[in-house]
Amino acid sequence: MNYRRFIIYQGSIGMASSMIFPFYVLLLKNVGHSYSQFGWAYGLFALTAAVSYPIIGKLADKTGDKVLLISYAWGMALILLIFPLAFEIWHVYILQVVMGLLGAVQKNSEKTVLARTVQKETAGKEIGHYHIWTSVSAAIAIIGTGYLVDFLTIGSIFYLASAVFAWSGFYIMKREE
Amino acid sequence: MYKYRYFAVFLYVLIFIGSIHFFQIQLSNPIIEDHGRLLPVKMKAIKSSDDEDELRKIIREAKKNADPISISGMQHSQGGQTLYPNGILLDMKSYNNILKLDKEKKLITVQSGVTWADIQSYINPYGLALKVSQSQNIFTVGGSLSVNVHGRDIAYTSLIESVESFRLLNAEGNIMHVSRQENPALFQLVIGGYGLFGVILDVTLQLTDDELYQIRTTSLTFDEYSAYFKTKVLQGEAVKMHLARISVAPESFLTEMYTTDYYMADDQGQLELNSTLKRESLIAIPKFFLGLSRLNGWGKNLLWKTQEAYNHRIDDSYISRNNVMRSESTFMEYENVNKTEVLQEYFVPIDQFTSYIDDLRKTLEQEENFNLLNITVRYVKKNEEAVMSYAKEDMFGLVMLINQGSSKESIDESGRIIRKMIDITLDHDGSYYLPYYHFPTEVQLEEAYPRTEEFFNMKKEYDPDGRFKNLFYEEYHK
Ligand SMILES: Cc1cc2nc3c(=O)[nH]c(=O)nc-3n(C[C@H](O)[C@H](O)[C@H](O)COP(=O)(O)OP(=O)(O)OC[C@H]3O[C@@H](n4cnc5c(N)ncnc54)[C@H](O)[C@@H]3O)c2cc1C
Repeated sequence: MNYRRFIIYQGSIGMASSMIFPFYVLLLKNVGHSYSQFGWAYGLFALTAAVSYPIIGKLADKTGDKVLLISYAWGMALILLIFPLAFEIWHVYILQVVMGLLGAVQKNSEKTVLARTVQKETAGKEIGHYHIWTSVSAAIAIIGTGYLVDFLTIGSIFYLASAVFAWSGFYIMKREE
Repeated sequence: MYKYRYFAVFLYVLIFIGSIHFFQIQLSNPIIEDHGRLLPVKMKAIKSSDDEDELRKIIREAKKNADPISISGMQHSQGGQTLYPNGILLDMKSYNNILKLDKEKKLITVQSGVTWADIQSYINPYGLALKVSQSQNIFTVGGSLSVNVHGRDIAYTSLIESVESFRLLNAEGNIMHVSRQENPALFQLVIGGYGLFGVILDVTLQLTDDELYQIRTTSLTFDEYSAYFKTKVLQGEAVKMHLARISVAPESFLTEMYTTDYYMADDQGQLELNSTLKRESLIAIPKFFLGLSRLNGWGKNLLWKTQEAYNHRIDDSYISRNNVMRSESTFMEYENVNKTEVLQEYFVPIDQFTSYIDDLRKTLEQEENFNLLNITVRYVKKNEEAVMSYAKEDMFGLVMLINQGSSKESIDESGRIIRKMIDITLDHDGSYYLPYYHFPTEVQLEEAYPRTEEFFNMKKEYDPDGRFKNLFYEEYHK
């Protein structure tokens, strides 16, 4: 795993997820008719993640982190193409289950890559450095989307974010030099 | 793995295009409903603009394609007054500039998508206030003109009294000036005309001074109310605004009442201290009590006692006119999937109030499953300027909030009871308010609004192609 590439990848997927997050919450709220449904949509997300962590953990050691990162990016790219089409609450429930699974893949792999790359002695500094870049790109995305919504519809923001995820997937698939 | 990356991109692009394609199809057939949530309607498109020329273009385009248009503001009307199957929804919310304020003459000109809240923020610093608006300020000026709203003020009761003039974009896409002098017939048709004669563009409204009021609450029984109102409110010079509640709690069903009068404070010097516009506050508590009252009689008894006690506690407190006209609404928002809350309003002549309530009580006591949550009472002075005028005499308006299911059976069941209540109202020379669900029959409409036939005939005259349509029109025109 090329560490520099990993950071760029993390930056761009971080950007894409921060772009959609506020609208994603809005969408859940619009499709659901009550707070209990809203609660369920989130609950399903968290539950799926909880159930899938043990399997993902094992998988990471077997197949390598890169495969998982690739699956996350492409998985998100695809699921975001489905989101704008959802209009029934059960669509959202299914999407939330898939998102929960993907979210767990990402969280786990992010940590395993870091664990395998950083030196114990300088872990603090390295992880701090890593966070600078990922946070900066998230901040840019959040502020930028604030402006974008004035010009784009919420639907287009989902498509844009999907394209950024697809690019990240493409980028991390590159041959290791 | 890197070998597959171009293949992955290719596949992704295909799916991307597919998704956008379906998304377009979905967008082009939006399903729209108003806040009553009983009438989801598939419409052809939603259009909006903040530009007059664009709006004209939308009308002309619709004419060319023979598309019906339904005009909408905040869509708080509940009988599909803003909806028509396969029509174009002309959403006026973005047409919302405040154009001119004449402080000397106390006149303001605004575009019709402006809400009362927008106007209040604008004029409050100048010490000015609206003459008429609903109790809440979440509605658009266009939507309010089109139903000719009324509120808590007792001197100016129907909105039409405070309208100077407006401009109307008609079915041909032409703009007309409308006032009591120019096109007076349209003045009386468009106000209270439910968007059937054209698009109201901008409106000039009369304002008045913001004033400082004090609150006086009085508990009484229903048979004391008419006399109280005539002597203590109408003749009590200092009272400016008024509102009353009648109990729907089982322990005091349609007997106990309390009134809230807003009278001119002696010390207007305090106005400045009290003139900051209120924001929505502490909605958790009213929302909780309203939630309990939805459940059962015990909840309703509890709500009634709490409300009354609360109101006596705020006795004598100061409030500015602007703040009286922005009462809270978010606590009423109701998000149940299978149920909704609908409004009804019945008008009865002041002198008939006691016998009317007796009759209403007799009927409703037999309807155990009818979930009536609240009744407020306001005053409307006789005003027959609008063709579709509800204020045929000096009347009380009783606003009812009803919790009901959204299934077909529940709608039918509410309809049955509501039609009975309207019959009782009509027997007492009353009328009812039109922005709500089309439960009433055509016969009831014609009795409540004697000029109904004239109204629909004029509609045909001004809009022979039927460019402007909605479900209210669909349901009742001949
Ligand atoms: C919680 C609640 C409280 C209420 N309290 C009161 C009250 O105290 N007093 C009272 O009188 N009413 C009251 N109402 C009724 C309310 O005033 C009407 O439903 C009003 O029409 C809502 O305004 P809106 O902006 O939502 O209009 P909409 O529902 O969007 O439209 C109403 C009508 O106006 C037409 N219309 C809208 N804009 C234009 C335009 N620019 N040009 C031409 N036609 C247009 C529409 O076609 C439609 O027929 C209340 C309603 C609710 C839900």
